[in-house]
Amino acid sequence: MKNALILASLLVLTSLAVFGQGYDTQPEDALIVPIGVAGTLYEDMELGVQGGTITIANLEDPKGWNHSTSHETSTTWFSVRSLRGLVGTDHISGALYPDLAKSWEVSEDSLVITFNLRKGINWSDGVPITADDILFTYNDLILNEDVDDDRRDGLQLPDNTYPVCEKVDDYTVKFTMSVIFRPALNSLGFLIQPKHKLAEFVHKLNPAVPAGTFNEQWTLDTDLTELVGNGPWIVSDYQPNVSVTMTRNPYYYGYDPAGTQLPYYDKVVAAIVSNQDVMMLKFRNGETDVYALRPEDIAILLPEGARKSFQVKITDEPNYGTTWFMPNQDIGLAEGTDAEKRELYRNVKFREALAHTIDKDTMIQNVLNGLGGKQWSQVGVPGPWYAGRDYYGGPITENNAVRYEYDPAKAAGILDDLGVVDADGDGWRDLPSGDPLTIEINANDNTVRIGYCLILQDDWRAIGLNATFQVVDFNTLVDHIFAGTGDIIQLGLTGGDEVNGGANVYNSCGGLHAFRFSACDDPDEVDLRIDELLGLGAGTFDLDEAFGYYVEMQQLIARQIGYINLVVPTFQYAYYDHVGNCFTAAPNKHPSSYTGLVIELLFDTRLL
Amino acid sequence: MLTYIIRRTLYMLPLLLIVSLISFSLIKILPGDFLTRARLNPQITEETLQRQIDRFGLDRPFIVQYWFWLKSIVTRGDFGMSFDTKMPVFKTLFMGNRLQWTVFIALSTLFLQYLFAIPIGIYSATHQYKPSDHIVTFFGFLGLSIPNFFFALLVLWLLVVVFKVGNYGLSVAGVMDMRYYGTPLTWGKIVNVLWHMWPVWLVIGTSGMAGLIRLMRGNLLDTLSLPYVQTARAKGLKETVVVYKHAVRNAINPLVTILGLSLPTLVSGSIVTAIILNLPTVGLSYFNALQRQDENVVMAGLLFFSLFLLLGNLIADFMLAWVDPRIRYD
Repeated sequence: MKNALILASLLVLTSLAVFGQGYDTQPEDALIVPIGVAGTLYEDMELGVQGGTITIANLEDPKGWNHSTSHETSTTWFSVRSLRGLVGTDHISGALYPDLAKSWEVSEDSLVITFNLRKGINWSDGVPITADDILFTYNDLILNEDVDDDRRDGLQLPDNTYPVCEKVDDYTVKFTMSVIFRPALNSLGFLIQPKHKLAEFVHKLNPAVPAGTFNEQWTLDTDLTELVGNGPWIVSDYQPNVSVTMTRNPYYYGYDPAGTQLPYYDKVVAAIVSNQDVMMLKFRNGETDVYALRPEDIAILLPEGARKSFQVKITDEPNYGTTWFMPNQDIGLAEGTDAEKRELYRNVKFREALAHTIDKDTMIQNVLNGLGGKQWSQVGVPGPWYAGRDYYGGPITENNAVRYEYDPAKAAGILDDLGVVDADGDGWRDLPSGDPLTIEINANDNTVRIGYCLILQDDWRAIGLNATFQVVDFNTLVDHIFAGTGDIIQLGLTGGDEVNGGANVYNSCGGLHAFRFSACDDPDEVDLRIDELLGLGAGTFDLDEAFGYYVEMQQLIARQIGYINLVVPTFQYAYYDHVGNCFTAAPNKHPSSYTGLVIELLFDTRLL
Repeated sequence: MLTYIIRRTLYMLPLLLIVSLISFSLIKILPGDFLTRARLNPQITEETLQRQIDRFGLDRPFIVQYWFWLKSIVTRGDFGMSFDTKMPVFKTLFMGNRLQWTVFIALSTLFLQYLFAIPIGIYSATHQYKPSDHIVTFFGFLGLSIPNFFFALLVLWLLVVVFKVGNYGLSVAGVMDMRYYGTPLTWGKIVNVLWHMWPVWLVIGTSGMAGLIRLMRGNLLDTLSLPYVQTARAKGLKETVVVYKHAVRNAINPLVTILGLSLPTLVSGSIVTAIILNLPTVGLSYFNALQRQDENVVMAGLLFFSLFLLLGNLIADFMLAWVDPRIRYD
């Protein structure tokens, strides 16, 4: 208690000194977010006023404040709000826009990208942001083997080298690549960290400290006045298991067209609530201002919202991420058993039969309470590269998507043709040789996934396949996936806008090509073409050309039926009426997005 | 007595060692490890995962890992670092007053449990088989049978939806309103803590109370049937004097012993309630580490709970010797 008291008074006394007074006038190179500007995607938004506090809820405590070493979302939640990168992702369109950089140029040969930084913008303690910070973050943190930073992986070029970062002048940096790599533009949006605060802890720059010292900086017990950032908010208070408070950064360079500095809210309080039911209760109690609904909450919140002063927004925008099941095509390979079953699983017609028995409508109605969409590709539906779009970022027409519609009769016919029939009269189909065929479906104990699997089990049993569903602990499931054991596994992967981010899934030697790891040593034509298309898609900056490659790739992947996609929940949220600009949420594209709401653009309508 | 204390304290060490070995083996036997979730991230390469494995020493043989862990405790007093927070394990477990809140919640719940259980048990015994006895027993068992997490959710739901406390500006869950954290102790703060604590006391307290009530009742009934009670009544003493001055003092003996044992149960057993009600306790941070398979924190947490249990046993034995003059440890 006493320590907290001292800390509190220290914060009050030093916050002014630490945070400074802000800019005297709006910087010339400020980022103007076109709020309310007609003809832009933001035209329906309203201009707000500064002030107020917004309270949201998170499931877990952060594990530290060091962005380099944070590997999971409860921690990066805070670093992505206090740090920004050269390139940002627009929260409505998913397109890349210049964030810390005010512009960039790609050279003629597409091998050099030059970024021009905004001049006259500062860190939260008033120190100017310059090219030195970019170089420091890239060369001394990301590429530094002593630093436990996994952003390195996303920056690796297809020939296993990394882009070379050079300073042109104080406000210009350039990255040179050895091969053309379009996704580099996305991964070069890594968050920039302050050199003047962190350089002294990096052994490479300061041999006086042992290697690895940086990894133990900015841990949870750090004095919060030491934290410096360039994003809209900076963490100012932390109560373990209770809340994290972020306060406005007086030097944030984002402004609205009326000249008001963003963010609008003075403070963001993230309450830590370990249980989703309690989260909902706290929202209903008025303690939090926004809430990301689960489908089962709709029935309660929709009518209550009408009585109290909150809105429930149900969109038909699908969330990111994929849900799939995969028949293990290497089943029994390592143990030397199940040869016939393995051959059957490797037969694409068999997998096609399985794909034709997925009743996605029932899954959406029963499991997702009607709030879901069908998934036909491993590439996320919200992203601009989804094959169901007509062109990059275009409207979804599903013209190019390969779909296996629900048709149990057709599936039964395919199985009959394959010789998978009931040979011994026990009511279940057997392997072509007459030996019994049993299928075990595994998922972890996630109610939604259990729901999907039970429907799968019922549909397969209805066409005569002896399928049983078994819940398995999450870790065991992951072990099965990587060991190539397991029968039919149902799981999901996170997703993003950039197709190449999932390269490990599509590439025949990729670490997540789990339906057939043996494809690395023994690829067939389709595998080779997919690998080729991955490279071609990444090798051109012409978005239309790349889109063509990725469509062909998605079609091949869909016909390869390795991962068989199910459904994806749509995206809904609830918010109180006094939170302005809340209606324009989209699935989590923007780094600042919380349940799809870009918090720095929200404001308290009661202050108007 | 002193030799007894020293002997008991020395016994704790090999016991803790065995507990640590068993716990370590269990953690290692479980499938997956700290990096399992990371493996499902398409962006992370094999090299990065291998670097992490090397850094944490996760691919060394189990007995080697255990040996290194033990060695650093014995030689340097270093219980290791959390993989997640990169801070020393006890700092991670006890961060931000967690230890103080754990002890406060455990002790206050214990105190209230006894405060209610003993009179209710006495009343139950002195009114044996009357309707009031049955009613009291029924409620006691109700508290025991309702699962804690459900009870906690039920209480929260009642407060939020039925009584609509939000309309009066009252918040639920946690140990106090967020705005009171780090502020000086005032009456407002104390009242606020009491408002947040009563569901905790209700949920955790009632689950243990049934046993205490029945125990008190049973012991008192046994005592009241003994010859010396009959003598006391025959001497003409008032019934209240017979019960409270003579019988209760003897009947309460086992409950005093249990006092010591209840303490560790409260600390480790209230994890589920702590999750629902958001209590900043050591149990909750231990549970989070368990979910993320942060091995060093899990081991430190297990040692902590085991120590608590052993201390609880020790306290129980002392209290028994203190209360009952027939018992001597020599």
